[in-house]
Amino acid sequence: MPLRANLSALDNIALIPQYRSNQKYAEAADQAWALLVETGFQDMHAKRDPALSHSERFVTKLLRAVISKPAILLIDRPAMLLPEVHYPPFMFSMLERMTTYLDDCWIVDYQWNRALYDAHLDYPELDQAQP
Amino acid sequence: MIFITNFFTRRGTALLATWRIWRDTLRFAARAILIAATPAAYNSATRTVVMKQIYFTVVQILPGFMLFAALLSYVLIQIVVTTAASYGLSEYALEVSMRLLVLEILPLITALFVALRSSSAINTEIALMKINGELLALESAGVDTMRLEFMPRVIGGMISVLVLTAFTSVIALVLAYLAVYGWQSWSLPDFSRIMGNVFQNTVLLGIFLKSLAFGLAVTIIPVAEGMATPRMLFMAPISVLRGMVRLFFLIMLIEVASLALKYI
Repeated sequence: MPLRANLSALDNIALIPQYRSNQKYAEAADQAWALLVETGFQDMHAKRDPALSHSERFVTKLLRAVISKPAILLIDRPAMLLPEVHYPPFMFSMLERMTTYLDDCWIVDYQWNRALYDAHLDYPELDQAQP
Repeated sequence: MIFITNFFTRRGTALLATWRIWRDTLRFAARAILIAATPAAYNSATRTVVMKQIYFTVVQILPGFMLFAALLSYVLIQIVVTTAASYGLSEYALEVSMRLLVLEILPLITALFVALRSSSAINTEIALMKINGELLALESAGVDTMRLEFMPRVIGGMISVLVLTAFTSVIALVLAYLAVYGWQSWSLPDFSRIMGNVFQNTVLLGIFLKSLAFGLAVTIIPVAEGMATPRMLFMAPISVLRGMVRLFFLIMLIEVASLALKYI
């Protein structure tokens, strides 16, 4: 889902509970702030979309998805979202911090990228990755 | 005969295409106004987005635009006052300058300024969202794009034109007083009497309705044009160009219609 360009990262994350359950802004913003602190990305809270780096944009989008505690989270071709970092360790470190919010997470990536996930083979479902 | 048939077929197709665009724009306008007037359409998220939109289209541009409007108003008032004095018509200078500025030039300049600053950005944003499939993604996720994306822009644009017109009109009044009477306050009753004659209730209602029409035009046209963009990246600049031309045409049409209603 696209971020709103004229809202800060914090407001973009808070917008989800505000829209889904008509939560008051202050409560939603507190919830968004707690998530940002958990990921260690709280310094970017005031940045708007054009000022965000790829990693920061990824984290904002991830937290937007996570804040509504979805049953499953699907990340489609993460390399496209994180071109500036070695993305498997970065992504897994983010997801590990979100375990209280997530039941299940699926990452869809090309078969030839499988080697990149080798260090994380304690996640058996990775074998299911489709080409 | 074939030449004539072809000519009318081609012209007819172009005419129908233009008609369809304006029909869709009017439909969208009606829907946006209806939803904006429905209290149930506003939840916590919509309110936040509307407030942000108002901030970016009104508050952020207020100081710069006020300065520009003050400078323009001062120069035009001086021209009117000097010209009136040279023809021995000084007693009409105040009334003429206010009719010229507050009733005609300032609302038009405000609409054009908002069109250049916000409408082009809105048109580009919506066109790119359409091309990148973001509008579709939002709708697939169960998000009402009208409430969260379009309506806040329409409200922001309308309030922007109304507030900026009101602020610049007040500045023009103050500058006109200073240009005609100088730095003193004992001419305030005279000034009030002349302004009372110029700004009768029907005239004030006319300015309000004209500014409202400008405000709707500067947001409805770019949103509708952005939504009508085919999903090809090279169509984004074409969409903005078309939107801006249509918007300019509509702004001028509103201005001419208001002049015709007043003076013909």
